[in-house]
Amino acid sequence: MSLATVVADSTAKYDIITPHITNGDHMEIPWILPPFFKEITLPHWEPVQLGPLALDLSPSKHVVFLLLGASLLILVMLLVASAHRRAAASGAAPKGASNAFEAMILYIRNEVILPNVGHHGEGFVPYLLTAFFFILTLNLLGLVPYGSTATGNISVTATLALLTFITVEIAGVRAQGWGYLNTIFYWNNELPMVMRPLLFVIMTPVEIIGKFTKPFALAIRLFANMTAGHIVLLAFMGLFFTFGLPLGVLPLGMALAINFLEILVAFLQAFIFTLLSSVFIGQIREAHH
Amino acid sequence: MRTLLAAITLLTLTASPALAAAEGGKVNLLEPHAGLIFWTIVVFTVTLLILRKFAWGPILGAVQAREQALTDAMAAAERDRNEAAKLVAEQKAAIETARNEAQRYIAEGRATAESMRGEMLEQTRQQQAELLERARKEIEAEKVKAVEELRREAVDLALAGAGKLIGQKLDGDADRKLVEQYLASLGGK
Repeated sequence: MSLATVVADSTAKYDIITPHITNGDHMEIPWILPPFFKEITLPHWEPVQLGPLALDLSPSKHVVFLLLGASLLILVMLLVASAHRRAAASGAAPKGASNAFEAMILYIRNEVILPNVGHHGEGFVPYLLTAFFFILTLNLLGLVPYGSTATGNISVTATLALLTFITVEIAGVRAQGWGYLNTIFYWNNELPMVMRPLLFVIMTPVEIIGKFTKPFALAIRLFANMTAGHIVLLAFMGLFFTFGLPLGVLPLGMALAINFLEILVAFLQAFIFTLLSSVFIGQIREAHH
Repeated sequence: MRTLLAAITLLTLTASPALAAAEGGKVNLLEPHAGLIFWTIVVFTVTLLILRKFAWGPILGAVQAREQALTDAMAAAERDRNEAAKLVAEQKAAIETARNEAQRYIAEGRATAESMRGEMLEQTRQQQAELLERARKEIEAEKVKAVEELRREAVDLALAGAGKLIGQKLDGDADRKLVEQYLASLGGK
């Protein structure tokens, strides 16, 4: 269903929300001629067969935005890094945007990551910093015209949450050695002997569920926040087209307000993902049963 | 709140056949997609590796270097200040010593001058006394000599006078003795 047709035929009932928030093999790109966009169809590749699993590696819309966001992030950060290298040579702090990015990086590192991860947590800084800026970039890409929110896709957020899950478990093994098993199997030596097997049976599933709840919550939180914002935005924009002028100005104003809120949410959700990942890493490194 | 909103919207969307039918199939927002999962892992991992090597390392390194330079500068300033304070204290002590020394020299000089003056005064007085003594002695000696002279003259005169009187020359030692005895009886002075 092309959006051009939707705009042309205003009497028909079309869903413009679902194609916007879901992944797909169509993409709108800026175009100089009216209606100033052009719908392109992304290539479809044959699925790669990995044993029983057919892996469809076609560059869908969200894959394109993943690559775009990552490239943008890498480009910006490389520029910031080179500004730092130049400034460091003269022994001063870099100016302007580089300094602003430095402030963000330092804030995330010093106020979010290091206090929560605990002692000697420097090794987790690259992963968590990358997660923050990666999510932030993808969130913001959804707010620019022609953009799409890759972080509004459950596959993307679940994968990011999975990476945090893996990081957390590796951190647990590295920090506790064999003691890591205590974070799975509940065996409390302070309890009376009779109680230990009983609580082992009760608590072990709880511990295991707890392990998976955390990344699950991370994935759902990010996905739902990004999706919900866009649905609300599109709903208000749809109301504008439904009401027409002059009454439609009201939902348009609301859409504008929600858009500002979405900018805040984009930062907030990236921040929360990073903060909670840091807290989970810190928890498992400190856990003593 | 937002999660709740999203959940409601999602439920509405997934449950609404009208919306789903618009795309000609069922839309399930929660359906995972293996290809996208693969891409996310690849893109994120590559981003992580690149940023760790070329962005976070250099940026945090530069920041740390700057902080280190700042700490060093502060430590150097602290050290310099302490050194300066120490130098000032040393200088003050040196000045104090110099002043004490000067005071001592002055006192010593004054004492020396005092004692010298006393000595000189004493010496002068002594010399004066000596001179006086010598003068007195000389006067005494001269007086004795004069008296002696006078006496001899007197004897000679007396003898000459007496010789004239008696018309003969009185020149013998015996005569002289006689007059001398007489003069002596008049008083030795």
